[in-house]
Amino acid sequence: MNKQTLQNQLVLIGIVLLTLLISRFEFFNSERSFMFAILLLIIYILFQEVSNVKKNPDSIFLRTIPGLKAVEEAVGRSTEMGRPILYVPGIMDMNEVETVAGVIILGHVANMTAQYETSLDVPVSRSIVMQAAREACKESYLRQGRPELFNDDMVHYVTDEQFAYAAGVNGIMQRSKPAACMYMGKFYAESLLFAETGNGIGAIQIAGTASQAQIPFFVTACDYTLMGEEYFAASAYLSEKPELIGGVKAQDTFKIFLIFLIGLGFLARMLFDLDILSFNLVELIG
Amino acid sequence: MFLRRTIPIFIVGFFGAFTLFGWFIENESIKAFINDDATQWYDIIASFAIFLGALNLLKLQSLKVLKRQSGWQYSLIAILSFLYVFVIGFFMRGAFFVEISSIPSNPDPMINLVNETTALELNSSYFVDVNNENPFRIEVPFYTDSSADDFVAQLASLGVNSAVVPTPWGAHIQTSGGLFKWMFDNIFTPLSATMFALLAFFVASASYRAFKARNFEATLLLLAGIIIMIGRVPVGSLISSWFVMYLTVLGVGVVLSGLVRDRRIIFGWVLFGLLFVTILGMQMGWPIDKPTMFFLPALQEWIYMVPNVAGARAIMIGIGLGIIITSLRYIFGLEKSYIGDQ
Amino acid sequence: MEKLENIILKLGSIDRRIIFLIIGLAVLIPLLRPVDLPIRPGPSSQQVYDAIDSIPDNSKVLISFDYGPSTRPEIHPMTLGVMRQLLDQNRGHKIYVTCLWPDGLYMAKDALKTINKEYTLEKYEDYVLLGFRPGYEAVIKGLENNLRAVYTVDADLTSIDDIPMMEGINSLEDFDFIFSGSAGYPGSLEWVLYGPTTVPLSSGTTSIQVNEVLPYVQSGQLKGILAGMPGAAEYEALVGKKGIATSGMAAQSYGHIVIILFIILGNLAYFIKERRERKY
Repeated sequence: MNKQTLQNQLVLIGIVLLTLLISRFEFFNSERSFMFAILLLIIYILFQEVSNVKKNPDSIFLRTIPGLKAVEEAVGRSTEMGRPILYVPGIMDMNEVETVAGVIILGHVANMTAQYETSLDVPVSRSIVMQAAREACKESYLRQGRPELFNDDMVHYVTDEQFAYAAGVNGIMQRSKPAACMYMGKFYAESLLFAETGNGIGAIQIAGTASQAQIPFFVTACDYTLMGEEYFAASAYLSEKPELIGGVKAQDTFKIFLIFLIGLGFLARMLFDLDILSFNLVELIG
Repeated sequence: MFLRRTIPIFIVGFFGAFTLFGWFIENESIKAFINDDATQWYDIIASFAIFLGALNLLKLQSLKVLKRQSGWQYSLIAILSFLYVFVIGFFMRGAFFVEISSIPSNPDPMINLVNETTALELNSSYFVDVNNENPFRIEVPFYTDSSADDFVAQLASLGVNSAVVPTPWGAHIQTSGGLFKWMFDNIFTPLSATMFALLAFFVASASYRAFKARNFEATLLLLAGIIIMIGRVPVGSLISSWFVMYLTVLGVGVVLSGLVRDRRIIFGWVLFGLLFVTILGMQMGWPIDKPTMFFLPALQEWIYMVPNVAGARAIMIGIGLGIIITSLRYIFGLEKSYIGDQ
Repeated sequence: MEKLENIILKLGSIDRRIIFLIIGLAVLIPLLRPVDLPIRPGPSSQQVYDAIDSIPDNSKVLISFDYGPSTRPEIHPMTLGVMRQLLDQNRGHKIYVTCLWPDGLYMAKDALKTINKEYTLEKYEDYVLLGFRPGYEAVIKGLENNLRAVYTVDADLTSIDDIPMMEGINSLEDFDFIFSGSAGYPGSLEWVLYGPTTVPLSSGTTSIQVNEVLPYVQSGQLKGILAGMPGAAEYEALVGKKGIATSGMAAQSYGHIVIILFIILGNLAYFIKERRERKY
């Protein structure tokens, strides 16, 4: 048994013991013990994978995500055509993880537009997102040594109202005819309005969202779509930082654990329903 | 660096960890903070932040108008609309009611005046018990207090005692017949509905373009899409399952023709299939919804509830995991790009 | 044959504006000249109907208006249908209305106005409009902990303590049934995630959102779902009062048929083009 495996087993035992211990205290909601143990496990897996990747950066293989590879191609296309890039960071506020992820990807896109001197247009639906997106773009332009190309009005507020925002962005698309449109964030019904209008003006379209209901619309109408987890992995993919790539690995590791748990739960429930087992796993999970 | 980097990262980490682990703690103050206060703090910040957005919007649109850039007319409409809603929301009540507290012995001239002015169809029975303690309120408000005052003066000339009752601030935006509600019903609602209705057209053009049977998966998607589109609407229940069975036999024949060279096998299959369906139909009496697995609404329901939900669940689990790991990255400071620190 | 193939090829690449025009006509004509189509209630809609039917007499039902004018044609018939079912039964049910969307307040007022014309309701005896509160899911959490802290007054600024119907209502647990007419965020998902687990919950959503919500229907956390306008029409059929959802089904049916015809045409053109390119 190698050191890593031993360490993992010790940590697992430690998590179980800690959970059992802490659930004895009154201040702790013992109904949520299982979730507490799972949370500690996820945190451990995250830090473990980050540490592994930092020690050995080449150990991780990230499969190619075509949508992310296409970002640079889209920026290049816009530069050649002399047309701007439109970036839509979703319609929700910074309290949504998807919007934060969208702003982070915007930072990477702004790096490229600063490098290639392409104009970038970021209409936003929320004021706080406007401020955060401005900061992200400004930092990117500063980092590329092109602060003079940055302009606060690159990131501008349209409106909070969903369909008014859709109308505004569609109008921007029709008038300025961007060569590339990127939709990265949380979307609702307006997703197809954006995607079809972008298709109509002949722009290359790259979408990324974890809004499950909107993924089919983006897949149908856009050239590339980052679906769900791919979208959250985008910042790791673009930055190539070990701590972020470790996060992606942690996600996959935990997914394998979940698949195992689902299989176990299915088996346990089936045996319970067939009266072969008297133990009900579902009750333990709560 | 300390103010721009360290403090924001500390704030995110502290409140993130506090909210995350606070969910496991049975303490009223902590629960109150997590469930109410934290979100309310955010709402207050977002509400004040709206001024930044609004000012940015006005600035950009005004510059477009002043510089007469392309499309400046739309910017002018945007500015005027903004000011219009701002004024009627914050500075104009837009809903002034008139309450009648006493009427003359012959109320007919008063009733005619009220009906003419408000387009109501009142009669004397409405005013039977009118007195100071029980005034009658005309349920059609006036947009301005001056128009309400004019109306009160007209009523006074007919011997009617009445008074203007302004709607309280706050309630004025939801008062039926008021100026803000008029704007909502007659401008905002049709515009929103129009934008949403565009989806119908865009779905059609997107489907037309994208639903091509390029490969096996695309064909499966195409078939599932057609079944759901037909099965979901009433027309689907008018299509007999036997028609679908015949189509299936023919469809399998088409597929076989690409795999098998011997035409006799294909002909045999099609003939056997058609005969089988016909005999079965005659035996069962051709019920429109049996066999159930070929009845489009039932088939649609199965596709929705079984493979669709399975796929949806898998995507949801993946998204959920993504959100958990991403959030933990922010909380533990592994990812700092959201403040521009790449 | 080649002529026919050429025609199909041409039709396979028509201008999208022609498609829009044909779709527009396909939807408009049945709205102007209504066609009666049989509505067959599906299991999900039946589940909602049965869930509301099975609540005890004199129940307190909370209806949440979580939609705006853009999705009104889909969701409004559902909320009207729920109120009609509750009032038709004449079993003393009380209706409490909350709104998680600011636009929801206007939808709620319109719905209550419509229902008042049909049933002559007594305000604060049969229904109370609590109104809109900002805060998204925090409102649901707040209502679960202490409703009277979230709503000190109703939508007409009457103190909650002065409303007879509000006696004994201190949190969401005091309701007997919750229905959410939802068009997005916050809506059905937030009610499932943050609402009380002991109170039966049902929902009506837009067609787009149904996918996200179905897993919760299967797990029993939601008692059925009214899925978009077809679901609303099915529910109207169950309640026994046809409305705009039913009249919209002919338009939707024709629209779907036209889309399918375009898809078939597009595929035929695609196959012909592929075959010709393979020849050469």
